[in-house]
Amino acid sequence: MTALGFAWRSLVRQPARAALGILGVAAVGALLFDMLMLSRGLIVSMQDLLDRGGWDVRVSAGDLPGSGLRVAHALETAEAISTLPSVQAALVIRSASVEIDRASGVPLRASFQGVATRSTNPAGSRLRAPWTILRGRDAEASDEIVIDQHIASEFKLEPGGVLTIRASCVGDLEALPATQLRVVGVAEFPFQTTESTTGATLDALKMACGGNVGHDADLILVTSKGDADGTAAAIRAQHPDVRAATNNEVVGRLQQTGFTYFRQISSVLTTVTVSFAVLLITVLLTVSVNQRLGEIAALRALGFSRLRVVKDVLSESALIVGIGGLLSLPLGLLLASGLDRILKGMPGIPVALHFFVFETAALGVHVALLVATAVIAALYPMRIVSRLPIAATLRDEVIG
Amino acid sequence: MNSASGLSPSASGRRPVTGDSSARSVIVDARDVCRVFPMPAGPVTAVRDVTLQIRSGDHIAVRGPSGCGKSTLLHMLGCVETQTSGTLLFDGQDVSRLSDARRSLLRLRQIGFVFQRFFLLPMLTARENVELPMSEAGLAKDVRQQRVKELLEYVGLAARADHRPSQLSGGEMQRVAIARALANGPRLLLADEPTGELDEATGAQIATLLDRVNQGGTALVIVTHDAALADRAGRLLTMRDGRIESERVR
Repeated sequence: MTALGFAWRSLVRQPARAALGILGVAAVGALLFDMLMLSRGLIVSMQDLLDRGGWDVRVSAGDLPGSGLRVAHALETAEAISTLPSVQAALVIRSASVEIDRASGVPLRASFQGVATRSTNPAGSRLRAPWTILRGRDAEASDEIVIDQHIASEFKLEPGGVLTIRASCVGDLEALPATQLRVVGVAEFPFQTTESTTGATLDALKMACGGNVGHDADLILVTSKGDADGTAAAIRAQHPDVRAATNNEVVGRLQQTGFTYFRQISSVLTTVTVSFAVLLITVLLTVSVNQRLGEIAALRALGFSRLRVVKDVLSESALIVGIGGLLSLPLGLLLASGLDRILKGMPGIPVALHFFVFETAALGVHVALLVATAVIAALYPMRIVSRLPIAATLRDEVIG
Repeated sequence: MNSASGLSPSASGRRPVTGDSSARSVIVDARDVCRVFPMPAGPVTAVRDVTLQIRSGDHIAVRGPSGCGKSTLLHMLGCVETQTSGTLLFDGQDVSRLSDARRSLLRLRQIGFVFQRFFLLPMLTARENVELPMSEAGLAKDVRQQRVKELLEYVGLAARADHRPSQLSGGEMQRVAIARALANGPRLLLADEPTGELDEATGAQIATLLDRVNQGGTALVIVTHDAALADRAGRLLTMRDGRIESERVR
């Protein structure tokens, strides 16, 4: 009988103890897995969101896109950027708040993104909005609009329908007349928060705003011809008044600010969960070994080597941690899905952003930590059996 | 029941040993062995200046009052305890010079132990308990299965092979323990109070079984308080205060 087989029988011998250990490891392992997914989840998810549209440099007025500051003379700036040799296209994004009229009841508040592409390259000029069309087509004329799935469901609108909006382009106190726009598509907006979102051309936005938009924009997205770093540097040289950052730099800045909090939390909780798992298994194994000292001494007397009895204990630890670890994966994914939903309920979080992201590397670290847990937890009980005085134990067992 | 076997008496191919003791090979040669245990109140000498030879086929009983050093001597003969002074040779090898791993291997292949409390593994069946030392010795599965079958028949428990220790009586458990001790065909079988937990009738059955093992050629050393069991031995050693006080050869 191999050490693993022997360990399995020892576990089955005490099902309550085994179940306690396995369930404990499953619970702790699930939390550990979640913490590992959380530690890089936001970063990976944000990087994915930024990369998704194919825009690899972001030009904004503030340190981070979405800071509220606007790029002045945005169209001229985008025009100039598009002439840089490393740039394929530049896209100006200007957003406004809108209220969508209902037949009856309170209007729905939504965000309205107007975009305009600037490119000297025929391939680049085909690049359009940062949203993904799910049904229909993209808005091209100034009386066309695309809507998100939520608005489509809420207003029972599909391509071909008409939407009546009232835009607030400069301040909330504006009272602009209603504008009717033709719905030509239903789209998914990558940075959409819980607020509903619509998108159209910059001309459509200007029309909705009664021309009261000004020359500034929230963001200019740039697609380079391959050298994002060089393009960002060229933009900074060309326009010292704006901030140009590659997607990696944006993620890097986010890591230094808001995302650090989650990484610190996950690091602390990872340490706590691993320590708890080690203590749990150590206690269970130590109690188990102490209950079987006579049997172990007898096996040693019968010729079982010290290495063999140590392997038995290690195998038992590996089995508890292994089975618990396997259970922890589906449990962790389930827990992560619930926690992700809760955390995404915070205001301003893009719907497509995830706090918990599965990565092979996270799974690898999870497995490595569980292996380390199994070994470290078994150290003390292994020490007990390896140093067990055979004769004295046999004597004590008889006297006891 | 089978006769003694190659694993144990009969399976090893050894034949019952009779006749001149000097012609039989020496398994254990202990000379002036002492065992001193350091204690908080001062060292305690459990075994002092014991000189003893065990030859193949010997049947030795060790008697004496509690605490006289019987079990410690047995443990030294079985290489689970090393002497503080003196020399103990097993098959010509100085046991004190062997590493722990080598001593384990020696016990696995050459020595069988039978304990007062059986120490069968409760989660394993009788068959699996007997198979365990063979598995540790690296025997092939088919060989193991054949030997387990022979050994359980030998101790009269073939029908209880798939029973766990909790489903066996004390006598049956001790018979499984004897089969387990014989698993790798030891040259020396050591039994520490093998009838200590059993009633008189069951103890007599175990004694008969041990006699049969010895008749198959395996040297047998029994530590016992049981006079009837001791009287079956060819050599009866009486210990007192760590010394062999007397030796009676039958």
